[in-house]
Amino acid sequence: MLQRLLLFLLLLGPLAAFSQARTVTGTVLSAQDKAPLPGATIVIKGTTKGVLTGPDGTFRLEVTDPAATTLVISYVGMTPQEVPVSTTPLTISLQSSGKNIDEIVVIAYGTAKKSSYTGSVSQIKGTELESRQVSSVTKALQGLAPGVQSASQSGQPGSDATIRIRGVGSINASADPLYVVDGVPYGGNLNAINPYDIESISVLKDAASAALYGSRGANGVIIITTKKGKAKGSNIDVRVSQGFSKRAVKDYDRMSTDQYFPTYWRALFNENLGSQDSITAAKNASRDLVGELGINPYGAAFPQPVGTDGKLVAGAKPLWSDDWDKAMQRTGHRTEANVAVSGATDKTRYLISGGYLDDQGIYLGSGFKRYTVRSNFDIDARKWLKIGLNLNAAHSDQQAPPSEDSRSDNYVNYGRLMGPMYPVYQRDLTTGAYLLDAKGQKIFDYGDYRPDPANPRTNLVQTSGIDKHDVMRDDVSARFYAEATLYKGLKFKTSYNADYSSRVGHDYTNPTLGFDAEVGGTVTKGNYRTFNWTFNNILTYETTFNEKHHLNVLAGQEAYKFKYTFLEGTKSGFSVPGIDEPADAALIGGFDGYTDSYTQSSYLGRAEYDYAGKYFFSTSLRRDGSSRFAPDRRWGTFWSVGASWKMTEESFLKNSSWLNLLTLRASYGGQGNDNLGSARYYNYLPLYSVNSNLGLGGTYRELLFNDRLKWETNLNLNVGVDWSMFENRFGGSAEFFVRKSQDLLYSRPKAPSIGYSSVDENVGALKNTGIDLSLHGTPIRTKNFSWNIDLNMTHYQNKVTSLPQKEIISGTKKLMVGKSIYDFYIRQWAGVNPNTGAAQWKYTNPDGSIKDTSNYSQASLYYSGSSLPDLYGGLTNTFSYKNFSLSFLIVYSIGGKVLDNDYTFLMGLGGSAGRAWSTEVLDAWTPTNRNTDVPQLSTVAPSWTGTSTRFLYDATYARLKSVNLSYTLPKSLMEKAHLNNIMVYVQGENLFTLYGHKGMDPEQTVGGTTYYRYPAVKSLSAGINLSF
Amino acid sequence: MKKNRLLFIAIFAAAVFSACNKDFLDTRPTNAVPDDQVFNTVDNAETALTGIWAYMFETYFTFAVPGIKSLDLTSDAMGSDVALTTSYGFRDSYTFIEMADNTKNRVSAYWTILYKTIDNCNNFLSKIDKVPGDDAKRKLLKGQASALRGWCYLTLAEFYSFGITNDPSAKSVPIYTDPANPTTPGKPRSTVTQVYQQAISDLQAAVPLLADYSRSSTQKFKIDGNVANGLLARAYLYSNQPDKAITAAVAARNGYPLMSGDDYNKGFNDVGNGEWIWGQPQTPSQNVAASTFNFLDVSSPVAYYKSFKADPWFQGYFDSTDVRFRLFQWSTSGPGALLYKKFRFRDPGAMVSDVVLMRAAEMYLIEAEGYARSNNNAKAGEVLNVLRTARNSHLYNGGGSVTDTILLERRKELWGEGFSLVDIIRTGGTVVRKPFKSYTGADSIINVPQPDGSVVQVRGVGHRTLKLPDGSAFVKNSPYYLFAIPISEMQNNPNINN
Repeated sequence: MLQRLLLFLLLLGPLAAFSQARTVTGTVLSAQDKAPLPGATIVIKGTTKGVLTGPDGTFRLEVTDPAATTLVISYVGMTPQEVPVSTTPLTISLQSSGKNIDEIVVIAYGTAKKSSYTGSVSQIKGTELESRQVSSVTKALQGLAPGVQSASQSGQPGSDATIRIRGVGSINASADPLYVVDGVPYGGNLNAINPYDIESISVLKDAASAALYGSRGANGVIIITTKKGKAKGSNIDVRVSQGFSKRAVKDYDRMSTDQYFPTYWRALFNENLGSQDSITAAKNASRDLVGELGINPYGAAFPQPVGTDGKLVAGAKPLWSDDWDKAMQRTGHRTEANVAVSGATDKTRYLISGGYLDDQGIYLGSGFKRYTVRSNFDIDARKWLKIGLNLNAAHSDQQAPPSEDSRSDNYVNYGRLMGPMYPVYQRDLTTGAYLLDAKGQKIFDYGDYRPDPANPRTNLVQTSGIDKHDVMRDDVSARFYAEATLYKGLKFKTSYNADYSSRVGHDYTNPTLGFDAEVGGTVTKGNYRTFNWTFNNILTYETTFNEKHHLNVLAGQEAYKFKYTFLEGTKSGFSVPGIDEPADAALIGGFDGYTDSYTQSSYLGRAEYDYAGKYFFSTSLRRDGSSRFAPDRRWGTFWSVGASWKMTEESFLKNSSWLNLLTLRASYGGQGNDNLGSARYYNYLPLYSVNSNLGLGGTYRELLFNDRLKWETNLNLNVGVDWSMFENRFGGSAEFFVRKSQDLLYSRPKAPSIGYSSVDENVGALKNTGIDLSLHGTPIRTKNFSWNIDLNMTHYQNKVTSLPQKEIISGTKKLMVGKSIYDFYIRQWAGVNPNTGAAQWKYTNPDGSIKDTSNYSQASLYYSGSSLPDLYGGLTNTFSYKNFSLSFLIVYSIGGKVLDNDYTFLMGLGGSAGRAWSTEVLDAWTPTNRNTDVPQLSTVAPSWTGTSTRFLYDATYARLKSVNLSYTLPKSLMEKAHLNNIMVYVQGENLFTLYGHKGMDPEQTVGGTTYYRYPAVKSLSAGINLSF
Repeated sequence: MKKNRLLFIAIFAAAVFSACNKDFLDTRPTNAVPDDQVFNTVDNAETALTGIWAYMFETYFTFAVPGIKSLDLTSDAMGSDVALTTSYGFRDSYTFIEMADNTKNRVSAYWTILYKTIDNCNNFLSKIDKVPGDDAKRKLLKGQASALRGWCYLTLAEFYSFGITNDPSAKSVPIYTDPANPTTPGKPRSTVTQVYQQAISDLQAAVPLLADYSRSSTQKFKIDGNVANGLLARAYLYSNQPDKAITAAVAARNGYPLMSGDDYNKGFNDVGNGEWIWGQPQTPSQNVAASTFNFLDVSSPVAYYKSFKADPWFQGYFDSTDVRFRLFQWSTSGPGALLYKKFRFRDPGAMVSDVVLMRAAEMYLIEAEGYARSNNNAKAGEVLNVLRTARNSHLYNGGGSVTDTILLERRKELWGEGFSLVDIIRTGGTVVRKPFKSYTGADSIINVPQPDGSVVQVRGVGHRTLKLPDGSAFVKNSPYYLFAIPISEMQNNPNINN
């Protein structure tokens, strides 16, 4: 091959020198990783005439001067190189000048060099995602980038994490970041994106980087760029992994049967004392106990298993003890396989990939299966015209039984809350032996006898295998563009992008067993379809003049439309068991459906200028019109300015022996938010909701409209410094930010007696102030061994800075100037009264004195700490020894509080017979146990589990989020097998968690409240990557 | 090549401009309409009354608050004759720890339903005069809106302060008669007299407007002259205007004869019952109100909670000849509860049952009590006996207080229909709950004959909650009887206590 090339050069070389106009083409690569360098400058030596390389690193230069012999290729941070003019395609590898770590980052409508970019952006590489076992890309973001707060509150396979960038800028309006896939806002399901297809993820955090997305980027932007073909030829990558998963943290400790019976006896006894003397009360409690709980696990030999002394009768042993929580769980299996073929020819670059994932949940009847295909093509159709099409299609089947729901068939709560004395399978009440059916099989116990709180007539352990809670999703996502070079440096790019996503929900409960047997089973089936498109047209002009001035200007237009439509029906009364579609059921219970549309129209522009690679300036402007506001208020203008100074390019630092990079940057700008929530598209209109009564049409005023609604505005200031030193072995960046939001879109509470509990208004202002810090280092770098550390941390504060009224109480929070929207404002626990055993809370008298009260509704509300952590982030360590690599990521969150409402279900005082009890209730108040934090038991006790600081816990935790050990087979072996690369690895997720409040998973919402969620799982898997 | 480029640009420029057309940003909902499409004809305006009615009855706040009908269940759970089980639902109302606690969901739910309905009526009344259309229909709709608002204020007057005879200037709830806008301030509490007066004037206004209206017999949920008079009768009686109550009650029951004994035993689930003056029909696809039967119906297997068991002492108030007596049955499975099978799902598979809102029997009782309170005991006894005759009960022939006899008859006749707490509050009465024990204090063992002739013994279980939450005995005018004003109102209405 090389010989052929040399021959070719020898033949053509001299001829080329004498031709009139020569066309030089080639590719500029980074010598280090052979990655193309977009934006490299190619200039004819001694002139200012030249071109820049495109995004793929290629260039094309017409050389008209026959005297020109040499080209100078330069790129920021690289040592310039001179090459002779040649008509043979050139491949130029530039060496790093050792001055910086020049990373190309993907930004709004383009790319930039991180070392000189004026905005704040963190980039996560695809390789960092590959070492994770996650089904949704959102779950992989935790701990990898400063300023990104990720809450993976659900362990349901296929669920997404909640992402917050630099605090919460809105109270009611959406605080979710904008997701951009391959340059265009993405409206599909995030879990339809195969993490393995991702080349990089950029997180845009400040105005300079995100303002070009205008209103849509107010909460930060997450740009996902998928892989493209790079190297000439073709490459095949195969990756297969297998793993197992379990619950990450142990559930709350619950009482055994032997603990439960005397405790419930105590509750009955205490209740009886209200009207009986203590001897009668004890006698009656012993007598009634079994009847109240519905079953006697101690067998017929002990008809009253608890004596009048409140203790188990001597010799009484439970004949069974079933753990329903365990019975509802299993070890999940996870299988993942991916294949990708990628490559490039002269005029095309392509990637085709396919993925399969089967992620079985740890709870019965839960899981996620996904099939994805992707095809990314870029074609140089003409010298001046490039077109590209990225297509992604995904189909997924999710089994998502109820969780995050207060329903009694919540799969997570069902087992947790079932008393231990109830058998899963029917038992002989005398011997405790299993009862068997005619075939000798155990028979599930539906517990007719169980009291209501223990879900009588149900057995989810069995019906989880019969009932359905299926979600089938189909996602198709297309990104099409055409880019024409109109004139030197002037390009026009148009793109049409569509995301289609359809969800079919199918919930079925069977007609013979469990929750809905009496109505003959139910089925709800619905189709929910979302279609969004974005059409944009962008002109860019890039030029370098007088060698040192580099200018890049962009202007364009964008239109966006979102359309959601659904139809849904419910039927009940199945003719026969075993069929589960609406066609098989008799009675229509409901039918519903409607359509929502939302549109946005935008004009945008940006200018970037740099001088000599030292001084960088950028500015952007965007105007958005939103269909959410009245015609006279719908347009908002958003803007940014930014500057950076690359000090290491200055003569006084240029020759520093130890400092490779020092950049200062600052930006400021305004963005907007119109996102009042998914059900609030038309709140400026005086709307009547439509309903009906017995076939007659109805309308009613459900909400107050407000035609004065307008954009919420975010003003963001970002100041940062990046550095790198000792041959780039140590470096980092530190940023300070102030994010002010004003005219907050808020559902302002009103006195409900006016008929409406709130009205959407623009109220008040709020401020997030914080610091992002990321540090990286290579403490050891020898031939065979290296150790890398990456540490990032974020601290921020949130403060309300203005409000239209003195205070607004909303849920567990109160808004007040000077306080955070995440400060809990709840009742203050004052302990158990040692004399009466009653629960007590604090209340403030009108005269200001603070007293205790046993009346929950009389208790006053107090500020009680914040749910926001003081510090959070991640620490990654990577050790490489020869072909081995070990890396682990620890995520941490220090400070902040979480209100554990899940736990309160286990902390009743006896009002819910048959519901499982926390072992903490063993410590309940009695006349001989007066100093305790659990009140006196009683079957009719006033509830004490209402929201109070009693159930507010410290949220500090650290978690070994991922561990990855891999081994790459030696090159020599692989060459024999005609393979490029073989790597085998073992991965672990959430293997270890350090946390104070046992039983609760520490990863909860940003707002710090629990909600019967599917807990996080830990998993261990092994896999192999092949490349040939 | 240049030409190609120009063409390329031209095509996309055209596309750009077409995408920017003016209505691109005007989107409209498909499940709601702007007000100018509602209040453009009288016929369309009628949807605004149907809609708020459907909201009141067919909105789940929780499964234990299936619309406004569940308020009636709350009222009975807080009385003397329902021995509620610990099942989900009204357990905390029964123990008096729910409605006095302003943080509870149920407290906020009724407040929300009633005041949202009031505002919708205010809005309707403020607009209907300007809507083009048939004047006769306009008149009728005005009457219905006015009566609906009157009913809401009447309900509020019943539960948020003690009776008018106890303290006529007791603070009750705020009154609004104008439609709300985003700047409407919360108003202070008016006195109980003022709230009853508002209810009465709304209902008085409605009666003549509805005089010519005759509704279809399948639409008993619509307010007609009889319904308005019936509500007026309640309002007069509760606000201590017995003479006026008599007239209104008689007018209300006109055309609605008392039902037969057999009909009384049919499950109280059919709006077609000739005695029902007002009720909300239910269908398989509209059965939120019917889900109150999950609590009331203690004998159909499909009922989820079956929590409204009868106090065994309550059975003792009936003659064995009384048609109502036949509905009692002791449960022999689980704790020995006394079932009162008055309410039963009509179509258990579809969980459908119509719900009753007003019956002729109540009007007879109002009339009788009106006479008793005007010291016309003879007439009072006479009217009471009309009802007793229909129920095949022994006749009243003097003896004891006729008023107390009528109040007891209300408990017997209207059990489960929502009048227990209303009567306790308006008369300054007290909840009475005794443990179900024999006179020696021992357990009451009941012999329950079975269809096969055998006898099963059960230990009768009655009331569980015999005291107020603070451990004190039930007394007259206990603050635990009143509904709290929800905390969201206290927090967001600075004027509430002015």
